Amino acid sequence: MLKLKPKIICVTGGKGGTGKTLVAVNLAIMFKNQGFKVLLIDGDVENPNTFLLLNAKLENKTEVLYFLPKIIEDKCTKCGLCAENCGTHALLHIKNSYPIPISTVCSGCKLCYKICPTNAIEPDLKVIGWTYRASAFNIDLFLGELKPAEARSAVIVNKLMENLEHIIKTETEKYDVVVLDTAPGAHCDVEELISGADFVIPVTEPTRFGKLDLLRIIELIDLLKKEYKAIVNRSSLLGYKDKFLKELEEKGIEILGDIPLDEEIVRSYCQGNPLMEKRSKFDRNGAGYKSFEIIFENLIKWGDFSK
Amino acid sequence: MVIVGIPTFGNKGLNEVLNNRFGRCNSFTFVTIENNQIVEVKSVANDAQGAMGGAGIQAAQIIGNNGATEVIVGNLGPNASSSLNALNITIYQAQGGSLTVKGLIDLRLSGKLQVLTSPNVAAHAGMGGGGGRGMGGGGQGRQF
Repeated sequence: MLKLKPKIICVTGGKGGTGKTLVAVNLAIMFKNQGFKVLLIDGDVENPNTFLLLNAKLENKTEVLYFLPKIIEDKCTKCGLCAENCGTHALLHIKNSYPIPISTVCSGCKLCYKICPTNAIEPDLKVIGWTYRASAFNIDLFLGELKPAEARSAVIVNKLMENLEHIIKTETEKYDVVVLDTAPGAHCDVEELISGADFVIPVTEPTRFGKLDLLRIIELIDLLKKEYKAIVNRSSLLGYKDKFLKELEEKGIEILGDIPLDEEIVRSYCQGNPLMEKRSKFDRNGAGYKSFEIIFENLIKWGDFSK
Repeated sequence: MVIVGIPTFGNKGLNEVLNNRFGRCNSFTFVTIENNQIVEVKSVANDAQGAMGGAGIQAAQIIGNNGATEVIVGNLGPNASSSLNALNITIYQAQGGSLTVKGLIDLRLSGKLQVLTSPNVAAHAGMGGGGGRGMGGGGQGRQF
C-alpha cells in the first residue's frame, strides 16, 4: 500500500505581529479536531513562543552544534589543500604556515575536515542553540531556539526540517498534516520553511505596513514557485478592510479569509487556550470563531485535504 | 627589511595609484624597504578580484604569500581586516585622494601614516563594477 506523506502548510507573512502563530496554532487545532494527526513546527528560532499558545511544556532539549575547523598543528603538513578547497575561503593559508580558520565566514560544511590528508582538522563544536519537542491538545510540537547573540539561525531551522524529513522517511504516516510557523521577514530561515511546504499562507493586516511586508513575502513565495493564499487578520481595524481587500484583489492576491478583531481571540491568546479547540468554552458564534471556520473550510477545499 | 603591500590598479610600479578597494583591487604592488631605501618593487595580479565571496581573505593570503608584513590601504572590510590581523600584518590607513605608491612609501618612511586596527567599511563594500555579484546599491567604498 502506498504510504501517504503528510501535507505541509507554511504560515508566514513578512511583517511581525500579524498573527502568524495565532493562525498556525488554530489551523493545527482545527485539523486535529477533524481527526488528522498533526505536527506543528515553530520555525521562529529567534523568538520561539508557539508553546505558550498551547500551554505546552518543552521537553527533549537537544543541543544544536555547529562545526568550525580546529587545526591540529602536530598533524598538519601545511599543504594548504583545505584552504584551496574551502568554498567560502574560511581558511587562510600562507605557504609554509598553518592554515588559520576565519570563523565568521565558515559555512560549517566540514569539507576541510573530510579532505585533510593527514586528519589534522578536528571539529571544534560549538552549541549555537537547542531543539525541543512538546505535546499539547493532541498536537506534537517541534521548536528551535537560537542561543542569544548567535548569528546562524538557519542552522537551527535546518535542524528542525531535518527532523521532519527523518520522520517522513521512517514513519511516513505518523502525521497527516504538518503546520510550519515562520519568523517574520523574508530571509533564509523563512525561505527554508516555505521551500519545504506544499501550501503557503501569508498572514497580513489591513495597514500600509501589512501590505508592504505582504508584497515582499509574496515576492519570495513566487521565487520559490509555491502556491499561496493570504489571510487578513484584524480585518475590522478602523474600517480599512474593504479598501485593503480590494487592493489585494487588484494585485491578484487570493485570500482564504479574514479574521476580525475579537476579544475572544485575545482571551484565548492570553490564556494559552486555543480558540478553536473543540473542548474550549469560547463562543461558537463569536466573530473570531466563525472566521476561523470559514478559513478552515476554504483551506480544506484548496488543499484537497481529506480524512 | 620590510615588505609593504599596496592595493593598486596595474603594474606601473612606484607610479601606480592606490586602489581604495582592498579585496577587489586589480593588483598589489609590493615594495621592499631596507635601511629606509626602496630596494625592490613588484606587481602581483589580484586573483581574488572577481571572487564570489571571501575576496578580502584571499587578498590577505596574497599579501602574506608575498612576504609582506605591512599594508597601506584605503578601504578595508571586516574579513580582510580580521585576516590581516590573524597574519600579524600591520595595516596603515592612507588618507586622502589618489596617492601614488611612491608617495605612500614616503609617508610611511616619515612616520606620517596612522595604523588601522579595525575595518573601516562594511562587508562587500568593494563589490559591484569590477566583478562578483554586484550588490546593487552597495556602491563602492561606502563609508559607515
